[in-house]
Amino acid sequence: MKDIRELDRIFNPQTVAVVGDKAEMGYMWLRNMSTFEGRLYSVQIDPKEIPGIEALGVKNYTSLLDIPEPIDYVLVAVPRQVTPRIIADCITKGVGGVALFSSGFAETGTEEGIRLQDIITEMARKAELKLIGPNCMGIFNPRLGIRNGFNQYYGEGGPVGFISQSGTHSIWFSEVGVLNGVKVSKSVSYGNAVVLDSTDYLEYLSQDEETEIIGIYIEGVKDGRRFFKVLRETTPHKPVIIWKGGVTDDGARATASHTGVLAESPVIWDAVIKQCGAIKVDNLEEMVDAVKALLYLKPTKGDRVGLIAMSGGQSVVVTDTFARDGLRVPTLSDESYAEFATFFNIVGSSYRNPLDISSNLGSVDLVLRMIKILGRDENVDAVVLELAMDFLARVVERGGGFLEQLLDGMVDFKERSPKPFLAILVPGSEEVAAVEARGRITERGIPCFPDFHRGANALKKVVEYHRFLTTQS
Amino acid sequence: MTVSEIVANARREGRTNLTEIESKELLASAGINTTKLKIAKSREEAISLGKESGFPVVLKIHSPDIIHKSDVGGVKLGLGGEDEVGRAYDEIITSVKQSQPEARIEGIAVQHMARPGTEVIIGMTKDPQFGPVIMFGLGGVLVELLKDVSFRIVPLARRDAREMIREIKGYPLLEGYRGQEPADIAYLEEMILKVSEFVDNNSEVREIDLNPIFAYSDGAVAVDARVILEER
Repeated sequence: MKDIRELDRIFNPQTVAVVGDKAEMGYMWLRNMSTFEGRLYSVQIDPKEIPGIEALGVKNYTSLLDIPEPIDYVLVAVPRQVTPRIIADCITKGVGGVALFSSGFAETGTEEGIRLQDIITEMARKAELKLIGPNCMGIFNPRLGIRNGFNQYYGEGGPVGFISQSGTHSIWFSEVGVLNGVKVSKSVSYGNAVVLDSTDYLEYLSQDEETEIIGIYIEGVKDGRRFFKVLRETTPHKPVIIWKGGVTDDGARATASHTGVLAESPVIWDAVIKQCGAIKVDNLEEMVDAVKALLYLKPTKGDRVGLIAMSGGQSVVVTDTFARDGLRVPTLSDESYAEFATFFNIVGSSYRNPLDISSNLGSVDLVLRMIKILGRDENVDAVVLELAMDFLARVVERGGGFLEQLLDGMVDFKERSPKPFLAILVPGSEEVAAVEARGRITERGIPCFPDFHRGANALKKVVEYHRFLTTQS
Repeated sequence: MTVSEIVANARREGRTNLTEIESKELLASAGINTTKLKIAKSREEAISLGKESGFPVVLKIHSPDIIHKSDVGGVKLGLGGEDEVGRAYDEIITSVKQSQPEARIEGIAVQHMARPGTEVIIGMTKDPQFGPVIMFGLGGVLVELLKDVSFRIVPLARRDAREMIREIKGYPLLEGYRGQEPADIAYLEEMILKVSEFVDNNSEVREIDLNPIFAYSDGAVAVDARVILEER
């Protein structure tokens, strides 16, 4: 792998320049960067724009070359035809790297767009300028306050690196993620990838100490061999989750064994992901779920689940869902059954696994005792608790801080048990309350999912990743 | 002939398609078990090669210009004795001359007909992004109809070979479904790894098709093989 310091100057800059921001765009880039901890500069030649920029408290120069100190990261938002001139200035200035928000290049399919893209690519390559994009949002580093959007958080970052060919997905991953207890260490939206490509960022985040898990949204890669190699080197020490965009052919034309091409690329991507021990997801929710599970669940190779549901009907359906998603719901040990027999009210309930605890919801202590029995059971690798918002709402109405007490007990169990423990809070008819309650559970470090499938699928990915790790030794 | 001699010879003749004999020689040099064949230039030679390899035998047209041998009546299977071989020789020559008169006939390949086993295929093609990719699947109708195949990128680790065999839906057939002879899975894994290694070491190979391979409870053999070279 390459030396991490090559990209570190861009991901951890001390000085940033925004080129070409203007009132028409609501000074979006200067506002995005207003939280930057280091020194921020603006470059704008239009005298009409300068007062507005200075009103934001940002010092403006009419040329990048006039800024009286080195610049680590440049965000360029000028019209496409001006980009060659700005790239030339970046090269002269010796900046750490530049992200081109400017668009209208090869992605338009027009002669002019392709020509301009070729020009800036050639200039950057020749000068070894680190170019991100064009047609991208660039770097997000919450710890340093470098952002892609004004609603993104800043101050404290997290342990998740995100590499995205799309700006929307990059921003949404951070915004949806944070609601799920998932925060970003560093992310990059990299667009057309004419110089730096996904593999360069993967190589960097693979070695970045702040980053423990890596998510990737990718539409295509230029040098697949290198991507394959770096991915394979990364997964044994950091989980990598891949969301491949642009997969419309599910492999129907995949095999024509004696005529030319054996495979279309969707199946090849699947093979790459599997072979490298990466984790495949298909949408933003699944990406966030997988990251959340890997971040908060204790490691396990076992797929046997102890399930607790708050009603009979739910106990059946949660079992079906977990089984369908490739997990097992075993019978429990004799010790567990003997203990349940001493206290469990079986009128209207049952404890075979799944547990239907509807008539045992009287006290928090009872519920916690059941969780602990499952946690001790040798047939169980992971414990799942279903919480139904309708039920919770009713016990909450009765007062007594049911959910708070339950949460304290759940956190205590999570900290002591070596087994993964997750909650699934289904909304029933209480959508709004469910969102709030899920937030409270997640806040305490217990991953909480909105439906059975999403919980099962996320747990399955954790199991698969840890199984993959054991094949590495 | 060595690998480089076979390649050089094909290049000299302006071919990227290797003949079955050349393909099998290349693969044999990589340690891949194939049925051996020899070229008969005459009816008499075909009979004597048949005796030498042991009946039953298979006769196949040998021509650098013919890729799909069955389509031109160029293949005769299960020939149990000298008379049958003689007759088959004549029939092949007549049929090929009729359906593809311009083809250069360099003789007829004679090989011992392998005992039938569970048919599997191993293939290699090059993906524009990821380079050489190995495919494994069950042979015959199952691969064509059900697309029941798995893929891995070269170079493969042993784990990859293990997984790609077990990944196909028809895997129970290889374990000996309903009294059928089970396949020697470890041997197939080894075969996949040898193809991967061969491809990794010979970048001028563009495509490989081992189809079918007969898998037995002890070992396996590629009955037909096709190798295509890169266009330079």
